[in-house]
Amino acid sequence: MQAGKLPVARRGVISRRLSGILEPYLYVSPALVLIIAVMLMPLILGLSYAFRDIRILNPFSGGFVGMAHFQTLLTDDAFFGALANTAWWTFGSLLFQFTLGLILALLLNREFPGRRLIQALVFLPWAVPTFLSGLNWAWMFNPVVGPLPHWFTALGLMDEPFNILSDPDLAMWGPIVANIWFGIPFFAITLLAALQSIPKELYEAASIDGATTRQKFISITLPFLAPTIAITLMLRTIWIANFADLIVVMTNGGPADSTQIVASYIFTQAFRRLDFGYASAIAAVLLVLLLAYALGVIALRRAMTHADS
Amino acid sequence: MASIEIANAVKSYGAVDVLHGIDLDIQDGEFIVLVGPSGCGKSTLLRMIAGLEDITSGDISIGGTIVNELQPKDRDIAMVFQSYALYPHMSVAENMSYALTLRKTAKEKITDAITNVADILGLSALLERRPKALSGGQRQRVAMGRAIVRKPQAFLFDEPLSNLDARLREQMRSEIRKLHRRLGATSVYVTHDQIEAMTMADRIVAMHDGIIQQVGTPIEIYDRPANIFVASFIGSPAMTFLEGTYEIAANGNAGVRIADGALIPVLPAQGATANQAVTLGARPEHIGIVGDDKGGIPARVDLIEPMGLSTLVHVSLAGNPVKIFTLDRPDFAADSIIHITFDMEKIHVFDTKTQLRLPPQSEPHTAKTA
Repeated sequence: MQAGKLPVARRGVISRRLSGILEPYLYVSPALVLIIAVMLMPLILGLSYAFRDIRILNPFSGGFVGMAHFQTLLTDDAFFGALANTAWWTFGSLLFQFTLGLILALLLNREFPGRRLIQALVFLPWAVPTFLSGLNWAWMFNPVVGPLPHWFTALGLMDEPFNILSDPDLAMWGPIVANIWFGIPFFAITLLAALQSIPKELYEAASIDGATTRQKFISITLPFLAPTIAITLMLRTIWIANFADLIVVMTNGGPADSTQIVASYIFTQAFRRLDFGYASAIAAVLLVLLLAYALGVIALRRAMTHADS
Repeated sequence: MASIEIANAVKSYGAVDVLHGIDLDIQDGEFIVLVGPSGCGKSTLLRMIAGLEDITSGDISIGGTIVNELQPKDRDIAMVFQSYALYPHMSVAENMSYALTLRKTAKEKITDAITNVADILGLSALLERRPKALSGGQRQRVAMGRAIVRKPQAFLFDEPLSNLDARLREQMRSEIRKLHRRLGATSVYVTHDQIEAMTMADRIVAMHDGIIQQVGTPIEIYDRPANIFVASFIGSPAMTFLEGTYEIAANGNAGVRIADGALIPVLPAQGATANQAVTLGARPEHIGIVGDDKGGIPARVDLIEPMGLSTLVHVSLAGNPVKIFTLDRPDFAADSIIHITFDMEKIHVFDTKTQLRLPPQSEPHTAKTA
C-alpha cells in the first residue's frame, strides 16, 4: 500500500510541472494555429508541388518526382528569357516610377492654390484596378482605337502608326509605360509624406548659412529621404518583380515570349499548360531569388546605417 | 558689427496687417530684446530682418545698406532658432562649419574657427557627435556656435531658450550675456518671457498687436511703463490694476477713488482732470500691510503664497484681486480683514480711456511712447 502511494504523489508533481510548461503555449496557441493554417500550410503545400508531377489534365499524375522539375528548369530557355525580362521589366519600371515620383513629390511639396485637390487626384492611378488600366493602355497603344501610335508618328518617332505591343523588340515598353503610370503615385505619396516631415527651420537655417537650392537638396532633403527611399525601392522591386497583371492583360507574355517575365511565365505554366508542378518549381526559384535580394538590401542598409552612426 | 535701422516697416498677409509701421534704430553692438505676447509680431519682425519674410513696405537696413531685396545669405547675419535647427545628419563640427564650407573658406581657417568657438562654448569634446546624441543645453550651444563661427554683422535670436528647463535657461541667459559682452555683436533677441527681457536687454522693445508700445532700458520700462499693456506685461508677479476716478483736493493733494469709496492718495498727475476715469497701477512690492490703527484700506485675504525668499499675499479690494509682495512671513487666515497702503511715490496713474500713463507732475516729461 505504502509503495503504491508514492508514485501517485510523484505523478501529481510531474503533471503539475508539465502543465506549468505547457500553459504559456496554450495561451498563444490560437495565434499559432492561425499562422500555421493561413501562412505556413499553403506555403509548404505550394512548395511541395514543386517536387510532384501535378498536371490537371492527367489523372495519373500526382507522383513524387524529386528534383526533376528543377533539372528541366536548368535547360529551359524560356525561363532564362523570362528571368532577363523580369530584370528589364522591374528596373525599367522602378527607375522611372521613382524618378518621376520624386519630382512629383517635390512639386507637390510647394505651396500653390488647389494643392490638396491635386494631391488627391495624383493618387488616382493607384486606385484604378490594374486589369482596367492594363486594358486602357493596351487600347491606347492600338492604332485602330488609340491615339498614341498616331502621336508618335506625328512626332516622327514612327514611320507609320503601328502597335508596339506586337513588335517583339518594343513590346516590353508597353506594360512598362502602364506600370510607370500606375506606380508613380506610390512614390509621390510616400516621398511627399517624408518631405513634409522635414522641419522648415532647417531650410531657413541653410539659406542663412548661404546654401543654394541644390545644396539644400543635397545636404538636407536627401539625407532625410534616404531611409524612405531605401525601404520603398526594396518593397517596390519585390512587388514589381511579382506583378504580372499588366503583362498578362496587355501582351499575355507575347509576342514570342518577348514580354514573358517569371511571374507571368508561372501563370502561363499553371493556367494555360495546367502544369502546376512545374509552375510551383519556378515560383520556388523566384521566391529564393527575391529572398536573396531582400536580404542583400537589408544587409546593405544595415552596413550603411552602421557606418552612419 | 553693424547698426540696424528699421523705418516704417509694414508686414501684411493679404488684407491682414501683422506689423503696422515699425520704426526702430538699433545701435552697433547693442543687445535688443523684442518682447510681447504670442502673435504680437515680434518673430515676424525678426524674420524680416533675417530675410525669411518679405517686407510689405518700409525699409530695413543693416550697416547702412538697405537689405529689403537681399537674400538671407547676403545679409551677413546669423540666426539661432527656437528648435535650434541643427542639421541632424552632420556632426557638431560639420554643423558649425557648414556656412564656412559653403563660402569655400580655407580648411585650416575653418578648423581654427571651430576649435576657437568650441573652446569658448565648451563643445571641444563633442565635435564628432551628431545632434541627436546631445542634450538640450548642448544643442543650444551648438546652435550658438554655428552663429558665432561666421562672425556675422548681427545675431538674431528667436526664442532660443524656450525649449530648455528653468535652471538651464537661467544659466544660458547669463552665458549669452557674457558672450555678447565678449563679442560685442549687435544682437536682436525675441522672447515672450519678460524675465529674459529684463535680465538680458540693453534696451527692451515691448510689442503688442504689431505696434511697438515702448522702447527703453529694462529699468525705464519697469519703473515708467508707457501704458497699461507694458505695465501689465513686464514684471512678475504682475501689477495690480484698480479702476477709479481722479480727485484733486483744495490743497493740491490728489487721489484715486476706487469702487468701494476708498481714496488712494497719488502724486498729482500730468494732464489729469478732476473726475477723470483713471486706472491705478501698483506693483506688488509697492503695496504694504499695516496695523489696523495705521489708517490703511481694509481688504479681505484670499490666499497666501509662500515663495521662500518672499511671500505673496492675495487680497480682494472692492472686488478686485490685489497682490502684495512682502519679505515678512505673514500667517493671515483666509477671509480675515487686513489693512493695506499704497506707496504714492511709486504707483502709477493711467488714463482708462487712452490706456496711457499719466506721469506725476514732478517727473520730467520724458515718457517714450510709440
